[in-house]
Formats: sequence, structure tokens, C-alpha cells
Amino acid sequence: MDMSVIVAVLAITVIKATPLLYAGLGGVISENAGVINIGLEGMMAAGAFSAVAASFFWHSVALAVICAVISGALLGILLAYLAISARANQIIVGMAINVLGIGGAAFLLALVFGQPGASPEVRSFADVAAGASGLVADLERYALVWLGIVLVVAMQIFLYRTKPGVHLRAVGEAPHASLAAGIDVVKYRYAATIAGGALAALGGAYLSIGEVDLYSDGMVAGRGFIALAAVIFGRWNPLGTAGACLFFGFFSSLQIALQRANVPAALLEMLPYLLTIVAIAGFIGRARPPAADGVPFTP
Amino acid sequence: MGLVAPLLALAVGSFVILAARENPLAAYGALVNGAFGSVQGLAETLAQTTVFVFAGLSVAIAFRAGLFNIGAEGQLVSGALCAAVAGAYVHLPSPLEIPLCLAAGALGGAILGSIAGALRARYGASEVITTIMLNYIAYLGANYLVSGPLRGSPFAPETATIDTTAMLHPIIPDTRLTAALPLAMLTAAALWWWLRATVAGFELRTVGRSERVARYAGISVPGVILKTMALSGALAGIGGACEVMGLLHRFNAQLSPGYGFTSIAVALLAQSNPLGVIASGFFFGVLQNGALSMQSQAMVPKDLVSIIEGLVILFVSASWAGSRLTVHRAPATADPLAPDGPLTSGPA
Repeated sequence: MDMSVIVAVLAITVIKATPLLYAGLGGVISENAGVINIGLEGMMAAGAFSAVAASFFWHSVALAVICAVISGALLGILLAYLAISARANQIIVGMAINVLGIGGAAFLLALVFGQPGASPEVRSFADVAAGASGLVADLERYALVWLGIVLVVAMQIFLYRTKPGVHLRAVGEAPHASLAAGIDVVKYRYAATIAGGALAALGGAYLSIGEVDLYSDGMVAGRGFIALAAVIFGRWNPLGTAGACLFFGFFSSLQIALQRANVPAALLEMLPYLLTIVAIAGFIGRARPPAADGVPFTP
Repeated sequence: MGLVAPLLALAVGSFVILAARENPLAAYGALVNGAFGSVQGLAETLAQTTVFVFAGLSVAIAFRAGLFNIGAEGQLVSGALCAAVAGAYVHLPSPLEIPLCLAAGALGGAILGSIAGALRARYGASEVITTIMLNYIAYLGANYLVSGPLRGSPFAPETATIDTTAMLHPIIPDTRLTAALPLAMLTAAALWWWLRATVAGFELRTVGRSERVARYAGISVPGVILKTMALSGALAGIGGACEVMGLLHRFNAQLSPGYGFTSIAVALLAQSNPLGVIASGFFFGVLQNGALSMQSQAMVPKDLVSIIEGLVILFVSASWAGSRLTVHRAPATADPLAPDGPLTSGPA
């Protein structure tokens, strides 16, 4: 393998890791506050579609990103309300959000664009970058990749080095003690869940208008669930999750590189799922989630 | 509860149709007409119901033991592949071949279910996470097998056609309704009786109520978890086998458009009662089959059905909020992914 192949594999690794990273960070923040989000997949689909629809109507990538964030935040509010206020089973609500997100996107795709399967091509990050050159073009083309890297560091600092971040984790570890210490458990859980939805949707927007320039049915293709795996693999913290996303992204890029080498792609594709099972079963050190993760809070 | 969730979901669905500037009455009318309007339509609805009943029973039986099987999809795929292989490569007369293929399907599903069950029973690994991951492993593995070693068609990645002796034939001419539906209903009735009247059924329900109580009563909780997940997987696997034996006559990895996920809604709507699963399976069969007529006649995209499905799950989950799901829970341990944790508390 010469240098250029290695550079290409590394570049594709980061590109493939980015959508997982956003959804994974979304999972990290809500689970650290004690709300498990199985609905990442549906939130990514909602974000991917909303971005394309907004870009189609307004020809603006900025508005597209904003609309994606809003769609994810709305699903986050739904999850937060049912999980926190109504104390519903978080797994069941998450599954409902998956069905609603994916089904809703397919419904609107057929309705808005009059064609099932895929949307027309819309203005994307690549189109924005086409107007620039050199460093500026790279910055614009991969804006969401850079933002993702910044977010990892920012969230790590936020969760472990700032007062609100420590409070957020306290709420996920020991809600009753947090309440006694004067922390508003419900407020933190709502905020974390809504932020998590917005982040997952941003990952979806990256898929539709960052990597390509359209929405197609089945586009998210299980990335929400791989992100869930990355959160477990990354021990529920941002840096670890980013590492897991890069690791999974590396296997995606290897797949592309090895396609000609006749290595069965399916077997490589299976690896993240297999490794997650190994991790959750505790074969490689115990994967321990926040203590109150998934537990409804009753004051 | 019963009818409230589907009615609410249909009501919200009608607002969605209105927002799409179509007529809800016309849309639902076309849906009902497509699902019931003719012998062919009704037979197709019942044919679609079959897989929902089997997969719904799979999720429901796990719920009764306090386990959340999100893996019915993968178990169904694995069962369908095993049945297709048995049907294509073993040559026996029908009375032997059909039970063999069904057993192969059950085994295929049970293996996947048992993996999740064993990891949960032995290591406390959340079956929610492991079954999600096993879904993808099953899909990718099956896809690999039919693209390579098991490929039996020059045109597409799929197995060879199964023997005629392995096929379930239509019980109404010119339809796709086979004996798989009566089999599904009998299975549901048998499970209902088994849960109520046998020691094993009682043990399963006791574990679902409280693992701690079950332990005090001398029930082997890991044993029940393993057996339940195997049974749950087997049921989904038989559903997959019936798809192959009755409808497709071969296997390809795309054979399920998410039946295993819809089955979560089926089981929730039935409140995990095996007999209720027949009714809720029929409800989703109607939606699934009627959606095509709704799309072609009333211009409402068929994906409205997914929205209704998601709403049904939401309304059922909201109606249970803070009540049964939490009341019967064993005291929360620190780790929700460990055996007694809340993640695993299904409706009792």
C-alpha cells in the first residue's frame, strides 16, 4: 500500500465516522442525564429528510441545517415528554420514534416530491464549496466534519469540567441526591434529551446534504443503531465515543479499499455489531452506563 | 385500553391526511375496501396477518417474561433462510418435508434468540442491545450466504426455489392465503393455554413479574430467560419459514420490510396476550394490505401506515406510563443493563 491509499483510507474513515459521531454524541448527552435514546435512527432520518426538504425549497444549506436541528429537537421533546414527564418505558418510546422518523420521512418524500425512493438533488455542502477554492473550499465542504470534531472536545470539557456538565452527569447517576442538592433533575433531563435529538438529526443532515445531495429511503441504514453501539463501546463519554466512531468508520473505509481484494464486505460490515455484543457482555472490561440511565425519575 | 390506541392513532392519521390535502374518509375508505372489499383482498390481508401473528407472539412471549426482544426481525430472517435451505436441499414427501422446514425455521430463529438469552442470563448483557445488534448480524450474514455459498439463482442473490413438497399451497384458489394462518392461530391458542396452565408458563410469568420473587420461589431465573428467548426466537423463525414456504418459495435477504419491528407494535397493542396478538396482527395485516389501495386510489402515500404504527406504539406506551411498567419492577439495581434493571421490564 502506498501513501496515497493510506491517506485516502484515513480521510474516508473520518468522513464515515462523522454521522455516527453526531448521533453518538446525542446518545452520550441524553444517557449521561439518565434518558436512554433508542430512537437515534429515526431522529437521523428526520434530520436527513428535513435538511433536503429545506434546501429544496430555500436553496440554503444554512437553513437546511437549522431545519434538521429543529426536526431532531422536536422528536427529542417527544421523547423527553414521554420518558421524563409521562414516565413511559424509554425503549418503547424510542422504538416508536424510529418508526415515526423513518416512516414519516418516507411519507413526506412521496408527498412533497411526488416520487417514492429518492428526492431530487438539492443544494449541498459540495455546491457551497464549489464557489470557493483552496483552504476555504475545504473548510466549507467539510464544515460538518470540523464542527463534529469541535463538538467532541467541547462536550468532553462541558461534561467533566463545567458545573452544568457535572450537574447533568449527577442527574444521570443519582437523581434523588441531585434533587436534594438543589439540582433541577427534570430540567436537565429535558435539555439533554432535546440536545441529543438535535445532534442525531445533525448527523442525518450530514448524510443527506454533507456526504451527498439528496434523501433516499433507507439512507440512514442502521447508523443510529451503530451510534448506540459506539456510545456503549465509548463508555458513555464523548472522547471514547468518538474513538469508537472512528474505529467503526475505519472498517467502512477498509470495506471500500478491500472491495477489489475480494474480502467479503458483509463480514467486515458485521464487525461493529459483533464487537458491541462482546463489549456489552463484559468480555473486554465492564461497560457500565450512568447508574440511572433509562430509569424514570419519581421525586 | 384495547381499542383506544388504534382509534387515536387513526384519528391523528386522519389529520396527517388532511395536512396532505387529501380526504381522510376517502383514504380510509380505499384502505378498508382494499383490505376487505373482495375475496382476493381479504385473503391477501389474512396472508399478511400471518407473519404479524408469529412475530407478534415472539415479542409478546418475551414481554411476559420481562424481556424486550427487539430481535424478531433478525430471527425471522434467520428462520426463513434455514427453512429455505431445508426446502431446497432436502427432498422428502410433503408430510415430512413441511414439518421439517418449519422445524428448521424454528431452529434458525431459536439460535439467534438463545444467543441473546444466554448473554443476558450468564453475563447480564441487555437483550435490548444484543438483539438489535443480532438483527444486523443476521441480515448481513444471510445476505453474504445468498450472494455466495447458498446462491441458487443466476439472476439475483437468493436461494434456489424450494421443492414443491415444501410449499404451503393456497387454501383459497388464486390467493396467497395458506394453512400458515390457521397454524399461527393454533400456535397463539396453544401459547395462551401454556402460559396459563403449565408450570413452565407460570415460571415464565413469575420471572416477568419480579425476578427476585422468582428466585425466592426457587425458579431458575437464568434458565427461564434462556428458554424464553429461544422460544421467542423460534416463533419469529417459524413466521419467516411460513413467508418462504407459503409466499416467496425462496429466500432473499430483503424478504422482510421490517415485520419484526412492526411486531413490537402488534405485541404492545395485544398487551402481550397471545390471543390478543391474533386480533392486533389482523389490524396490522389490514393496514399493510389496505395501504396499497389507499396509495393508488386516494393518492395518500402508503407510508402513512408506518406513521399510524408509530402512533399506536406511542399511545400504548403513554397509557402504561407510571403504572404497570414500573409497579411490577424488581427494585432497580444500579445497572439498567444488568439483570434486574428497568430496561428489561416489559409489560407483565
